[in-house]
Parts: sequence; structure tokens; C-alpha cells
Amino acid sequence: MDTLLGILHMLIFPGGIFALVIGFFFKGLDRRVEARLQRRVGPPLVQPWLDTAKLLTKETLIPKTACKEAFLLAPVVGFAGMAVCAAFIPVPGVFDGLYNMGDLLVLFYLLPIPAIAMMMGGSASSSPFGAVGFSREMIIMLAYETPLLMILLATAMLVGKSLNGGDWGAEFSLLKIVEWQEANGSLGFNPVMIPAFLAYLIFLPGTMGVAPFDIPEAETEVVEGPLLEYGGPLLALFHVGSALKTFVVLGLGVAMFFPGTICDFWLINLLWFLAKCLVLMLVSLTVVKSATGRYRIDQAFRFFVLVPTMLALCSLLLVWLM
Amino acid sequence: MAGFLKVLFRNLLEGPSTDPFPLGPTRMEPERLRGKVVVDETLCMGCGICVYSCVAGAINIQHTEEGHTITIWHNACCRCASCKQFCPVHAITLVKDWHSAHEERDKYNVVEQKSIQYEPCSVCGKKIRPVPTEILKKLYVNNSDIDLEHVQHLCPACRQLEDARRSAGLPAAAEQPAVES
Amino acid sequence: MAFDDLLKKNSVRSPWLFRINAGSCNGCDVELATTALIPRYDVERLGCRYCGSPRHADIVLITGPLTARIHDQVLRVWNEIPEPKVTVAVGICPISGGVFREGYSITGPIDKYIPIDVNVPGCPPRPQAILEAVALGLKIWKQKLGLEA
Repeated sequence: MDTLLGILHMLIFPGGIFALVIGFFFKGLDRRVEARLQRRVGPPLVQPWLDTAKLLTKETLIPKTACKEAFLLAPVVGFAGMAVCAAFIPVPGVFDGLYNMGDLLVLFYLLPIPAIAMMMGGSASSSPFGAVGFSREMIIMLAYETPLLMILLATAMLVGKSLNGGDWGAEFSLLKIVEWQEANGSLGFNPVMIPAFLAYLIFLPGTMGVAPFDIPEAETEVVEGPLLEYGGPLLALFHVGSALKTFVVLGLGVAMFFPGTICDFWLINLLWFLAKCLVLMLVSLTVVKSATGRYRIDQAFRFFVLVPTMLALCSLLLVWLM
Repeated sequence: MAGFLKVLFRNLLEGPSTDPFPLGPTRMEPERLRGKVVVDETLCMGCGICVYSCVAGAINIQHTEEGHTITIWHNACCRCASCKQFCPVHAITLVKDWHSAHEERDKYNVVEQKSIQYEPCSVCGKKIRPVPTEILKKLYVNNSDIDLEHVQHLCPACRQLEDARRSAGLPAAAEQPAVES
Repeated sequence: MAFDDLLKKNSVRSPWLFRINAGSCNGCDVELATTALIPRYDVERLGCRYCGSPRHADIVLITGPLTARIHDQVLRVWNEIPEPKVTVAVGICPISGGVFREGYSITGPIDKYIPIDVNVPGCPPRPQAILEAVALGLKIWKQKLGLEA
């Protein structure tokens, strides 16, 4: 029964269908707002749905020299990983998240799955651009996973220490972290955690692969890198996975830093949660994307090591010393 | 750092500056836009300087006994306007019509084609292109006593004779029997 | 198949553009970039997006007179694009050869080798004319999907 419920959570709410609807809505709004920021009109809000519909009607081409199994499996792995991930995100006041034991660690292991799927597809496609995209994806992933780990550790240690009465401790359950914040105030307003929050804001465009960190999928340099050989329904699956990932990373950010609720009614809480996700997206993805160019891979790596890693390390040290 | 935020905020306030074209009528019509080439068939003399000057070889003039046909293929025209520049009678103009997209089956139909019919000379009966009135007005601007309507329908040879007669003080050819040879 | 029809009907609202430079002088390419980048001619309103990979393309915009040097590569890239696709010849060069017509290094016009659907002459064509060609291409795409006669 528990397993069945878990699968339902992964496929319908908050994973799967719900996350897909929200992710596509966010993506459409993202393109629209980006266009407005550049004085354009932009595509309609339903554009991600239309793109998916279009991709489903196109024919699928598999390169003759590709490793067929890995090539077909990669988008499915990316989608599945994110659907599972979405079920771990607690929506405060609505949903507690699946299996509330150490899900912060599980999330840390699950979050790179789309990037790994992308690398898998890129290297299986036997295209030189795919190979270049693979190596770039690898480098940028190493760059943004380090600050993420430190942010998660800082959060876990802060809450764990507090729950332990000032002694050593770490709390890796997202639900406990959310509950702690409801009792003691949001972590985003905690001066110790502000550097970590800034680091998370920089981590978001890195993990979502948007400008200025869209280096692995740069269409002008490596003709969309790992996605080069994909087309039709397989590419649609990658886009769906990316939409789920939008929901996951934004939801994780809100749950970790601003999980407050405003009333007891579940619908209002859900909308409040989504509104916070939206603000987080506009600040960290849309505004940055519409105003910046693209880093070179070495510049991006250096930037990630120098700025977000240092910010997250700063938070971690403060939490440790406190 | 704050500079780009200011620009973005201003953009947001000012709203989109997009021209509504494919979904509505356009608001953008530059003054000196070079669009389609148009030939004025009342002026074209078929001299062929446009054919010679066209860099893309888009212009063709076919001469027959009965007249000439000038054809400009828009799919080869590069809108350099050198035909307009060199046309001695200003018969060629570039209008502002930029709607040039068409389907493949119309590829050879997007042409500007004008046929000019020749008329017989009023004296010797040879087929000639009657000189357009506007050009005659310019040519005979200092000879106001000449009947333009009469001169218009004369072939070059007959016009020369007429001119010689007028210089010698003789009456015009129309009032006399036709001169032999 | 109602669902299939629904997908097809909506699919024409998401044309992804792919540009092939068949030896163009870059004039037409600049105008193509203009349609995407300059707010005045925002091509995203039609749901368009310039994509880097031929595998993602729906509407192919070909510029340039198809030089002898790039002939094989252009045909190869064009054949990589999945069906259904609409091919648009941008500028007079791919349509007729333009100012390079009958030159020793030109193997075009391009419709000798590739079935072209829409022509948009000009040297270069106005960005608005290119938008018009994309809109016309959408009509032809509908015909290819069997939605319109």
C-alpha cells in the first residue's frame, strides 16, 4: 500500500502530472517575461505545450552509429529521476513529502540525474558535438554540485544543532527542516544562512542550464551539444524532464529557505508556495537570463568555485562556529 | 551591476515595441524603402540601358516588328536601383511594396512585364515607337511653335527631313505630297 | 484519431527555425538574426525559435547561392531534418542565383536539388518579408499535415 501510494505521489502529485503542469506554466511565463524585459511580445503562455505537441508529431531519427539502447534510455532516465525527485519536495501545509527520512541526501543524489541523462545521451549519440557537450556538462556539473552540497550541509547542520540543543547534529529530513522553520522563522531571513541563499540563487541557473551557464547546450557553439541528435518524442521527453526539474529545484529552494504558510486551507497554501517558487524563478533565472551572455566553460568553472562555493562555505563555517 | 537592472525595469515599463505585422497591419514603412521594380509603359522606349546595367541579369527586353516587351523577374532583382539610375526617360521606379514572399509554384510568375505596341509612322508607314509626350515636351522646350502631336508620330528619318524643311523655310511634309526616296 | 488531430493542429503553432548558409554573403543571415533579436520584428510571437540542430527543425531557411564548395554539405544537412519540414529560400541567391547567376563556382539555383516550398526574394529581403514567408510556410505545413487543402 505504501509503495502504491508512493508511486501515485511520483506520477500525479506532486511529481509527474502536477509538476509537469506547473513546470510548463513556469517555463511559458519565463519566456513571456523574458520577452517583456527585452521589449518584445513573446510567445503565448501555452508555448511549452505546443512545442511538446509538435515534437510528438515529428519522426524519430536514430543515428546509425549511435548506441541505440543508451540513446533511447537517456531521456527516460532523466524524466524518471525528476518525477521521483518531485515526490520528495514538501509543499508546506499541503503535502509532507515522501519518506521523511534523510530526503535531503536522497535529493542531492537524485538532482544530477537529468545532467547525467544528458551526458549519457550525448555520448551515446556518437556525435562529436555530443562528446564536447558531454565534457562541458561534466565540468559544469562538478562546478555547481559543490556549492549545493555545502548549502544542504549548512541547512542540515543549523537545524540539527538547534534540535540537539546546541550540540553537534545534522537533520537531513526536509519535513523536519520545514517544521523547524515554522517554529523558529525562515532560514532565508537568518543572517547566517543568507550567503547560502545567495549561493542557491547562483546554483539555480547553473543547474537549469540557462544563460549565462547554458554552455553544454550552447546552440551557437556546439549546436545544442548532447541534444543535437535527439528529435521528435525523445526530445519532448527531455523537455518534460527539464520542466519537472524547474519545479523540483524551485520547490527545494522554497522549502529550504522560505517555507512559511499563511493559513490552514490547503489550496491557499499551495498557491502561496507556487507564488514563492515563481518569484524565486523570476529573480534567479529570468532576469539573469534576459540580460547576460554566455560564459566560457573555464570562466564558468572559475566563477562557480570563487563565488557560490565561497558563499556556501562561509555559511557552513558560520553554522559550524555558532 | 545595477545598470542592466535599470534597463530591464525601463523595458518592462515601456512595454513591447514590436510591430504587429504578421498578425496585423504594419506600422513600419521607411521613406526610402526600395521594394518592387515598376516600369511605366507610357515612357519606356526600349533602349536597353537597363538590361546592360542590371547586375543580376533580371531584365530582358524582346524586340519584334510589332513592339517590344520588357520583363523584370523579381526573383533575380537585387533592388540595387541601377536601372532607375540609368534609365534616360525615368520609366523605371522602385515602389515601397516589400511583400515578396510567394509559393514555389509562382516562382516564374512574379514578374513585372509590360508590352509596348509600335505604331506606323504617319508619313512613311514604318512601325515606330511613338515618342512619349513628356519626353517631347522636354526635347522641344525651346521650340514652342512645333506641333508636338504631329512630331510624335514621325519616324526618325521623316523627322529629320521635316526639320531640314523647316530650317529652309519650306512647308511641312503633311501639306505636300510625300517626297520620293 | 481525435488526439492525433489535436496534436497536429497545435503543432503548427510551434515552428522551430533552422538556417542553412549555402555560401551566403551574410546579408540575409543578418536579416534572419534581426527577426529573432530585434524587438520590433519579434519572431517568437509565432512560437518560433531558432534551433541549432537540424534534428529539431521544422522550417528550414536557406540563404546563399549554393556554392560548389558547400553543395554536398548543404544537401546532407537538409536530409538530416525530420519530416514534415517546410523549406524556405531566403534572398534572390538560392532562388535564382541572384547576382552570381551562371558563375563558375555556383551550382544553384537550389530548387534543382531540393524541393523548395516558399520563396522570399530580396537582396536581402526585409525582416517583415521573412516573417511573411514564415507565416506562408505555416500554411504549407498545414497542407503537408493534411489539415488544409
